[in-house]
Amino acid sequence: MTERRAVHLVVNGEARVVEVECRTLLSDVLRHTLGLTGTHVGCEQGVCGACTVIWDGAPARSCLALAPQAEGATIETIESVAGTAPGALHPFQQAMHELHGLQCGFCTAGIVMTIVAAERSGQTLDEALVALGGHICRCTGYVNIRAAIEHTWQELGR
Amino acid sequence: MSARYVGRRIPRRNDARLLRGRGHFVDDIELPGMLHAAIVRSPAAHGIVRSFDATAAVDAELVLGPAEIDAATHPVPVLWTIGVQPQTATRVADGRVRYVGQPLGVVVAASRYAAEDAIDQIVVDIDDLPVVADATAALAPGAPLLYPEYGTNVLSAFDSGDTAEHTDAVFAAAHRVLRHRMHLGRIAGISMEGRGIVVAPDPTTDHLTIWSSNQAPHAIRDAVSEVLGLPQHRIRVVAPDVGGAFGLKDHIYDDELMVCLAALRLGRPVKWIEDRSEHMVSTTQARDEHVDVEVAFDEDGRLRGLRIDAQRDTGAQFAIFGGGPLFTMAGLVPGPYRWDAVRTTAKVIASNRTPLGAYRGFGQTQAALIRERTVDLVARALDVDPVELRLANMLEPHELPATTRTHITFDNGDYPACLRRARELTAQFPERPDGDERIRGVGYAFYVQMAGIGPSNTNQLIGLCIGGHETATIRMEPDGSVRVASGISPHGQGQETTFAQLCADRLGIDIDQIALVFNDTDTTPYSAYGTAASRSMPVGGGALHLVADKLAAKIRAIAGELLEAAADDIVLGGGRATVIGTNVSVPIGTVAQRAWQGFSLPAGMEPGLIETAGYDPLSATFSYAAHVCRAAVDPATGEVAIEHYAVVHDCGTIVNPLVVEGQIHGGIAQGLGAALIEEVVYSADGQPLTTTFLDYLAPLSASMPNVTIEHMEIPSPYTPGGMKGMGEGGTNGAMACVVNAVAAALPHVADRIDRTPLSPSYLWELLQSNP
Repeated sequence: MTERRAVHLVVNGEARVVEVECRTLLSDVLRHTLGLTGTHVGCEQGVCGACTVIWDGAPARSCLALAPQAEGATIETIESVAGTAPGALHPFQQAMHELHGLQCGFCTAGIVMTIVAAERSGQTLDEALVALGGHICRCTGYVNIRAAIEHTWQELGR
Repeated sequence: MSARYVGRRIPRRNDARLLRGRGHFVDDIELPGMLHAAIVRSPAAHGIVRSFDATAAVDAELVLGPAEIDAATHPVPVLWTIGVQPQTATRVADGRVRYVGQPLGVVVAASRYAAEDAIDQIVVDIDDLPVVADATAALAPGAPLLYPEYGTNVLSAFDSGDTAEHTDAVFAAAHRVLRHRMHLGRIAGISMEGRGIVVAPDPTTDHLTIWSSNQAPHAIRDAVSEVLGLPQHRIRVVAPDVGGAFGLKDHIYDDELMVCLAALRLGRPVKWIEDRSEHMVSTTQARDEHVDVEVAFDEDGRLRGLRIDAQRDTGAQFAIFGGGPLFTMAGLVPGPYRWDAVRTTAKVIASNRTPLGAYRGFGQTQAALIRERTVDLVARALDVDPVELRLANMLEPHELPATTRTHITFDNGDYPACLRRARELTAQFPERPDGDERIRGVGYAFYVQMAGIGPSNTNQLIGLCIGGHETATIRMEPDGSVRVASGISPHGQGQETTFAQLCADRLGIDIDQIALVFNDTDTTPYSAYGTAASRSMPVGGGALHLVADKLAAKIRAIAGELLEAAADDIVLGGGRATVIGTNVSVPIGTVAQRAWQGFSLPAGMEPGLIETAGYDPLSATFSYAAHVCRAAVDPATGEVAIEHYAVVHDCGTIVNPLVVEGQIHGGIAQGLGAALIEEVVYSADGQPLTTTFLDYLAPLSASMPNVTIEHMEIPSPYTPGGMKGMGEGGTNGAMACVVNAVAAALPHVADRIDRTPLSPSYLWELLQSNP
């Protein structure tokens, strides 16, 4: 359990090697080993979706994976979504801002990762709204998040 | 001064940081040499700790058990004393366990993983005592006592409103009396970020810095000072980004105090982060109330009397505000209607459950549910339209201000217009889908919310030992940019934006010139509440108004000197101070530079531009709303869908409609959740059965309809700026509205509904037994 192992990852486009106990959760590797604290942990039970990252192109709960399970994986976290240009936001992030789709901001990263993954994989608006169903937000009542998804799909001509 | 910013839908200024993953929450804090804590919790619901043996936890840096913790701590004060209340403080560890999950000790190790490993090596021997499963069991003759020294399981008992004699007379004179009972299910607040704390002692200065996920840094500082015996000026409490609080994080918890103690012992920083299962047993919960309601009314539909006997199962001990939520329920239960008598008798009862505390609504949600459900029962009994019945009994604008039978004076507004408009909005509800056989009903609720709680003298009068005021400090720098510090402690409510909107208008400067300072006892003025009780905008914003006007007066005086005009003839706007009716002006930044240089200031004026103002309101403020929604019930499964929802409300001056609407949406989700699906469940032996998000159901996107919102905007006569406060309103209206809609869909069983949540299984059974 406390045996350590080197795990090779590509995180936000950068090759990383972390040496961690085999039991370390991927979410803890991202947050505490790599300092990518934008990924939040809301339940460690795989339900709330706050810890969602994009793993080899698909959204995944980083609290449900042990680090060695991610050996060789390409992981994208919230820190990479907006790109590097100053002030830049992904269209969904921009819509979340303009339409007040976040309040405390704790669940937000996971929702952004899910919706960005849906957008990239060509999901329809209805599919993206269903994907939002995998997240718990306690502040917003979801109304403005749905509006932000609709706005994004409209902007992107989907 | 024209409003350039107030009233505008300005997206929040702090969003981008959170959207990019650059927030700074408590678990994001890393300090050199930091250790990690885990909490030893009781697996038993009731018992006496015989031994706490940590000898096997060899990898732990420190273990503290109940005896050491008790010896090193003073009791935690309960700040509200109501009626007959034997419990006015609670010990952090007194050798007994009273609920599953109660913290017994703390383990500190090199990592969170190692600390949790060490927990398994600690042997706690508990002698079981008979379990007091709930309030009913607690009141049974011969029930075991959680606190034998009190001689009772009743932690507080009080009456509210009219006398028994007056109420009896009103009931005797009325044509009819109806009775019903309700159990309001226990719910958990479930902020998406649990609690967490980082404690960093500085051995060289004897200062203690605490970062914690909280909503009231000064209150937490005060409690740490009291419990650990440290002077307040050597403790700094910071709330970093906070992932939701909803009342849960308004006080310090025993486990957090244990972490403080451990950090002090070790002289090193220690972090503790609550996990979700801990949250579901150790963070304060809400409701768990049983009410017997009697309503007296006349054949013509006139409401006469309301008599309530209420019991609140407050769990194992009082949190900071004791039985306050039940007291608040009793105070606000009259609502917008004329009554001849309103009386509540109440008991707050200890049982072997997780302690209750503050949660969005703080009793006002229950007040609305009890009253609005009762009004619907009367309407059904008289076979009259529930909206017409409400309108016939509702205070008209000309009757305001009006004092309730519970001695609360509502300020102003137009309640009937609000309700009528909500009824009109149902015309916009979408048509029932073809081929859908679900049964539909439309339900209404109306509430008047006591927001902007204060003044301090009222708190004193009702035994609530905290000040009801707020303070703001404002500092204009020599370049004309402004820093505003306020004691409120936002955590999602958007005051980084809305306070800047208010301030920019008062000073006539650009909003980008204003930065806000919150959430830190070292840099903000004192506030007993932080952000809670829907009072940040009416009371905190009131203080901001006053201080900005003080600063503006000084700017005008200096500008007058510069422009050779009277201060009264100077107006501020567009970043300039201008002689009224002329184009003679000077940039406000130039005035600020002059103020700090101290050159040629008006005679006797202090240099600099710093002002502070305290605002103790004349009265609380009273926002109100009408909620209406349509429920579709599937009789085959008991499942309820809320198809559409509309709100018409008045919270006085609206600083930012985007933020206000967001608060309403979120509040509705929480009220809807409590009405339909959320419930903390215990086994008969006090074991919690809902400790994950798979067992405790929170509303998901599919549960939440879209919401039509219309604003009325009748400014408060009290608050500078006219804001009334509204953060809890959505919750207050939604629970009652949803219950009434379900009842309206099921008229043949409507009067038999006697609990929340209206879960599918509950409704299905109700329908089966009443076909």
